[in-house]
Amino acid sequence: MEIHEGAVAVGDSVLDFSRLSLNTFNADSVSDERKRDTRQLYLNYNRLASLPSALGVFCNLELLDISNNGLASICEDLTRLTKLKTLVAKNNRLDEFSLPKEFGSLPLEVLNLSGNRFEEIPLQCTKLQRLQSLSLGGNRLKSIPAEIENLTSLELLYLGGNLISAIPPEVANLPYLSYLVLCDNRIQSVPPELTRLHSMRSLSLHNNLLTYLPREILCLVHLQELSLRGNPLVVRFVKEMTYDPPSLLELAGRTIKSRNIPYFPRDLPSNLLRYLDLASKCPNPKCAGVYFDSCVRQIKFVDFCGKYRLPLMHYLCSPECTSPCSSNPQSDAESEDENSVPVDRLQRVLLG
Amino acid sequence: MSLDRSEMRSATIILAACNMHFLTNSYTRNLVDAGNGKFNLMILCWGEGHGSSIHDHTNSHCFMKLLQGQLKETLFEWPDGNCRGDMVQRSQRVLQENKVAYINDSLGLHRVENVSHTECAVSLHLYSPPFQSCQTFDQRTGHRNTVKMTFWSKFGERTSFVSGYFKIKAKECH
Repeated sequence: MEIHEGAVAVGDSVLDFSRLSLNTFNADSVSDERKRDTRQLYLNYNRLASLPSALGVFCNLELLDISNNGLASICEDLTRLTKLKTLVAKNNRLDEFSLPKEFGSLPLEVLNLSGNRFEEIPLQCTKLQRLQSLSLGGNRLKSIPAEIENLTSLELLYLGGNLISAIPPEVANLPYLSYLVLCDNRIQSVPPELTRLHSMRSLSLHNNLLTYLPREILCLVHLQELSLRGNPLVVRFVKEMTYDPPSLLELAGRTIKSRNIPYFPRDLPSNLLRYLDLASKCPNPKCAGVYFDSCVRQIKFVDFCGKYRLPLMHYLCSPECTSPCSSNPQSDAESEDENSVPVDRLQRVLLG
Repeated sequence: MSLDRSEMRSATIILAACNMHFLTNSYTRNLVDAGNGKFNLMILCWGEGHGSSIHDHTNSHCFMKLLQGQLKETLFEWPDGNCRGDMVQRSQRVLQENKVAYINDSLGLHRVENVSHTECAVSLHLYSPPFQSCQTFDQRTGHRNTVKMTFWSKFGERTSFVSGYFKIKAKECH
């Protein structure tokens, strides 16, 4: 068994050529049989300027790590690795023109392209049907393409440390998305459609440009972690909103719901039925405090290392609830200000 | 700070285990040695972008050493009792691999963060005497909250069940 001097043979199926200051990768010293048996190949921390076409001979390769080299492109031969499940190419010089044309045909489950020069998520990446984990942290992404919704197996999406200013609603179409990292970007708002991500466990939004969070975020009932530090979140939320009188539709809807006035589908057009249904899912003036309490308790604000309510939330309590505000830790400091806010304004914020 | 052989061995075991245990949004605390009740020695594993709250150290001495990667430490003044404005930031530094830092309550409060989006970080922490809870602070108002601290693992054994994230991220590692 001939192995390149310096390479470590870690078991039969792993070839470790990492940290050898290689300028080129010469697989000639590896027997054909060995190449066929290799499942994991580590070429990280070298000085490779390009990948040799010889790479394609490792036909059973499942994991390839080419991180921390000087790679500006990935050769077309990579697509010959028809069993490749994990590709880690962190800290190179790759951009959206670097990936081979047929890249989307690889059966990748894990793709890490963080620390490169991508300004866009390449279209080939959005074709990876089996992709479960996509990391593009620390690049120069300005946006997320709508085609992201094609990654129907995606569970983890790491896009921290880019230049993203908006989250497209198509992100909400990823049925298994559980971990979404968008910290250190330029995001100004969170689309309410994200409420459809019932699988969301962890959402990272710290160091962005958010001034408020949509009420809908409370509908993410499985959310366990949420980071929000470093956003210019408005503390005196209610006071900074301009006063718009509620519409007649809204007043009528509130009356029907809060007084439990009976109605039947045959009595009303479908759009009004839908509107009334919406109201029942919103924080009800009668039990709004209770509803918000149960949602907030399920969320751990990891910046604050424990359960902590957003200052935002206590302004959304119903004025008819007897004690939700006083149970809020924030209210100890701000109870005076809170009492001076008009009751009807509180209620308006409640139902939008 | 030097460790004796058994501590080094524990640390190595935990370190290897830790490489698989990076949660998306929260660092993990892994107890190595409980020092007969006199101190806690633990390893913290920080995934990309993970950071702590601003916190105090419950009247204990705290030493920290970077075993892998880098961590940013931001020092804050204790807030006054009024909770009226942003907490005052005193200084900020990036601790490189192998560097050591020390803090106690008389020196102030701090936030520790792995600001890298590509690399994980691992730090070794010594707290004496040990403490199970601390105060966390809202940077915008200085409002404080007492929280209980938990361990992801103790002496190499996991204390909680495995998250789905760990299964996904594990595929990237050796």
